[in-house]
This record gives sequence, structure tokens and C-alpha cells, in this order.
Amino acid sequence: MHNVDLNQLASLINKNIPGANATVNVAPDAKLDSSVNVEASHIYKIAEWLRSNTELPFNALQAITGIDWMEYMEVCYVLANFDVNASRELILKVRVTDRVEPNIDSIMKVYPAADWQEREVYDMFGIKFNNHKDLRRILCPDDWQGWPLRKDYVAQKFYNGMEVYPDAKMNFEDRDFIVRQAMIKKAQETKAQ
Amino acid sequence: MQDGVVLTTVDDFLNWGRKNSLWPMTFGLACCAIEMMATGAAKYDLERFGCGAFMATPRRADMMIVAGTVTLKMATRVKTLYEQMAEPKYVISMGSCANKGGPYWQHGYHVLNGVDEVVPVDVYVPGCPPRPESLIEGVMTLQKKIANERLLRNKWVKHA
Repeated sequence: MHNVDLNQLASLINKNIPGANATVNVAPDAKLDSSVNVEASHIYKIAEWLRSNTELPFNALQAITGIDWMEYMEVCYVLANFDVNASRELILKVRVTDRVEPNIDSIMKVYPAADWQEREVYDMFGIKFNNHKDLRRILCPDDWQGWPLRKDYVAQKFYNGMEVYPDAKMNFEDRDFIVRQAMIKKAQETKAQ
Repeated sequence: MQDGVVLTTVDDFLNWGRKNSLWPMTFGLACCAIEMMATGAAKYDLERFGCGAFMATPRRADMMIVAGTVTLKMATRVKTLYEQMAEPKYVISMGSCANKGGPYWQHGYHVLNGVDEVVPVDVYVPGCPPRPESLIEGVMTLQKKIANERLLRNKWVKHA
């Protein structure tokens, strides 16, 4: 992302961790950030190497987020090196293909900051982090059903007798959007005729 | 007749004492709590109305100001806090979120549709967030309500 030659880094990862399969994901626009994709099964070793190597070390984990692309889910690690003389940042992306029981190794032992970040990803996407010492929901109540940030999420109707999502509840912006799209489609069809 | 006269006077005396020493609970949930703090601070000075003594425990408080968004996770805690308060107790619902869920009810999955679903509310203060003047108005409305109560005829004092 910043001050890192991603091609060099990807080849270094491939050289040091066999099977990591690191590829550079070049952003289509200069304003956007390029990232490195790696294999999900090797994430612990990669994180360990990224922290301890001498060529391009990253000594801090800034954030872990999840993305749901419908076909697969992605876990996104933002790493950084806090050093005045060699500051750099990196976005590391990992694909999780299993939607029923998604799981990935925890990097908590390498970066302790991953503790709550991984809990949040688990809370919102249901991705289980193996070897995490305390994997509970962090924001939703413990007995909440479903994973809220998944694209196919439907909120439960009741929680402990309290109404959550009645039929009458509607997102009016979504409704307006659908109505507008239908109108545009209709106009296009009449124009074509 | 004599009873009536005496009781009314005692009631008025008790109510006068109670309404001028309402102790709220130190309890804020969201941005409304900032306005509640401003109300308690020097400029608006809730102490003028006898309710500036924010108690750090529900056991010592008379009044709970539900200041902010009540999430479903917090709703059970709000109910527990209300049950821990000693009678007589009052609840002021402050702001749109506590009144009826606010914007989060329409667009979110995690917010309670008004705090009155879990605790009985005496006064609703509208606004997002309400200005300190509005909260003071709400407190004064509650004081008027307390002034008209008939404590000694009420069963929870008779059988206490």
C-alpha cells in the first residue's frame, strides 16, 4: 500500500513459505490501494514471517475486516510497520470459500491486537478463527442468531420477546430505489419499442 | 373529613419534599447523555431544580433518565437497573431513540422500538438530541406529576 514494492514482497513470501501462493492484486485506479492475496491455509505462517523477517518487517496489525462477495468471503488484514525510518503499510487478503462452516487460523499469537478484531469478524460474518483463545461475539448478544454483515442476512423477528423485525418495518430508501429502478427499466423498454 | 384534610396536607408536604430532591441515576447510553451532562453542568445547572445529585448506583436513585439509543443487548440491562431502584421511581425517556427507536429502528436490526417496551415511562422528551432546556422542561413536568400524587393512599406505601 505505502512504501512497499508488492511484487518484491509477494516473491519473498513465496520464497520463504512454500504453498503461500502470494499474488499481487493491482488496483485499477491510482487512488485505490493494491493488495496481496495469499492462501488461507498458510495465513499463520505468513503472519509469523511478516512480523519476524528482516527484509520487510511489519510490526503492527492495524485492522482485520471481512468482506462478503457472495461467491466467497474475504478476510482482509491491514498491517503496518511503525518505524520512523522504514514506515510501510500492507493490505493482505485471504479468501474463505466455505460459507457453511468458514474457518481460518487465528494470528492472535503473532499479533495480539488480532484478539478483538477477529472476534468482530466472527460476530459479523461467522468466520471461525482456529486457536483463538476467546472466540465469542463482541457486539451482538451472545444468543443472537445469524451473521449481520453477510449479504444474505435476514434479521430474526423476535429477540427475548422484543420485536426486532416486524413485517411492517421497511427501509424506505430501499423501497424508493427499487421503485426508481423499475421506472427506469420501464422507460428504457418503451424507448426501445 | 378530618382524615381527608390531614392526609392532603401530609401528601402535599411529602410531595414537596420528594419533587425537589429527585436524584437521577448516572446512566447515559449515547449522544443524548452529552446533553444530559451539559444539563447537569454549570450553565444549565439541574441542581436549581433539586435533581443535580447524580447517583452512581440505582439503589440510591429516584429517577432514571434513559439518555440515548437502547439496543436489544442493553434493553435487558436497562430493565435490571430499573428493577434495582427503590420505590417510588420514575423514568424520563430522553430523545427520539429512547422514545420510539429513532432512525436506528427504521434502518437497523439491533435497536429496541422505544424504551417503554421494557420499563414504564413517565415523561417523554422529544428531540435528537433534546437541548438541555427540553430536558429541564421534562424534569419540571415530572415534578408537576409528583406534586399531584397521593402517596399515603397508594397501596405500596400502606403495605410497605
